[in-house]
Amino acid sequence: MKRKASLYVILILSLSPFFGAVALAQVQVRVRVMEASNVGSGFDSSLRDLHDQLGSLFSFSSYRLLKDENVSLSSNQPVSLSIPPERSLELTLINQHRVTAEIRVRITRQGRELLTTLVRLAPGRSVSIGGPKRGEGTIITALSRPQ
Amino acid sequence: MDVNEAQLISRCQLGDQEAFKEIFNQYHQKLYRIAYGVVRHREEALDIVQEVFIKLFRSIHQFKGKSRFYTYLYRMTMNTAIDHTRKMKKVPPLSMDEEEGFQLSDDADKRPDRILDHKELEARVKWAMDQLSPDQKAALIFREVQGLSYQEIAEATGCSIGTVMSRLHYGRKKVQELLKDYVEGGK
Amino acid sequence: MKRECSSISRLLEKYFDQEVTPEERSLVEGHLPDCSACRMALDTMQNLRILIKNPVEEAVEKETFPWVWEKIEKGIQQKERPVFWNFLKSWLDVTPLLKRKLLIPAVAAVVILILITAPLLYNKMSSYPGPSVVEYVESETYNVMVYELETPQVTVIWLFEDPEEESSTS
Repeated sequence: MKRKASLYVILILSLSPFFGAVALAQVQVRVRVMEASNVGSGFDSSLRDLHDQLGSLFSFSSYRLLKDENVSLSSNQPVSLSIPPERSLELTLINQHRVTAEIRVRITRQGRELLTTLVRLAPGRSVSIGGPKRGEGTIITALSRPQ
Repeated sequence: MDVNEAQLISRCQLGDQEAFKEIFNQYHQKLYRIAYGVVRHREEALDIVQEVFIKLFRSIHQFKGKSRFYTYLYRMTMNTAIDHTRKMKKVPPLSMDEEEGFQLSDDADKRPDRILDHKELEARVKWAMDQLSPDQKAALIFREVQGLSYQEIAEATGCSIGTVMSRLHYGRKKVQELLKDYVEGGK
Repeated sequence: MKRECSSISRLLEKYFDQEVTPEERSLVEGHLPDCSACRMALDTMQNLRILIKNPVEEAVEKETFPWVWEKIEKGIQQKERPVFWNFLKSWLDVTPLLKRKLLIPAVAAVVILILITAPLLYNKMSSYPGPSVVEYVESETYNVMVYELETPQVTVIWLFEDPEEESSTS
């Protein structure tokens, strides 16, 4: 019985590299904040992957990158960062199912909650949250997961 | 602690998840009350309750019955909630001038929306409570929200009844001063 | 009167918290009808209690605790992994047994397991995204629009700010 058990141990240990690759690891999310406006023209090169998406919905002539940050999310550990205009963005990894990550997104301003949403992001997918005005432009925050 | 609860705790200490679920059913609302009293935010309070029960499962074997089980749980919840507010405070404050105190938006009184007024009052109460020391806040929440006696608060916070009374007295005094427009007798 | 008031006022909080002895209660209740200051102090304490307590009671009453137990169960199971690994490690002491006639069956078993698990792992790694991105949206402050398209893959949440809010941030 002990020999059989030790055999199972060796078999499982030999497969551990495979399981390690899919273990619940940290999830990387890219946060890009841009100012979209009709003043001037141009599409920041760092936003190129979002061009089709944003272009299909909006008719802004200019998209200017204001902030580009990569955050690592661990399960149930919120990560906060400030975003214009005068807001705070909090991301929390709630769950992972296969490669899709469920992320809770909260936007607050001066302690007051403006938006809470739960989004499911697979690698290569993004969600944009927009609306707040800043001067002549509108602020759009894009959350995406690298492939 | 009654016999049923003692049996439940023993079963939990042996890893019985059914017994643990029973404890969850009995206490989750009470712990939510405490957590919400501290953070005044639904999502954060739910996170705190979740965290407390996970901690409890890992640490219940350390509970020797020297205090009442519910005061042990309440203490764990209060400590977790206060730690949570400390972590959230590390987010840089956004243009709130703490020296001048809580600033309502300039046109708040022009908004006809009563729900917004209610929310702003809640935010003001939270701000006032956040000016207290953790000990004063804990005493005030245990007393006003959870309705614990001085003895129970002393057990839950690990201090004497005299200290509980002192914390309540100075906590109430400070919050009353910060919220005087809302609480002064006759309003 | 003044002296009595200063000694009674020390008991007021205890009286308010129902922690007084019967004698202390009689003292306070005998004093209150003649002292508006002490009555007002009690009213203030009561108003403060309402301010602190009522929003909490409302929140507790309407809370349904969705998925909380499920998340706790998941959290507990994740924490239990180290114990399982410790149990496995305890069997490593018997590895010398493998040197005797067990190598071929062990290798065969590993190959079979790889053939069984590889497709499952491949499925886990495939980057097929789910049908929708937004699970829910809550905003008590703004009107919100959620826009989702599959082709091209577009997901946008748009907040419609109050004009007064816009002017305060521009």
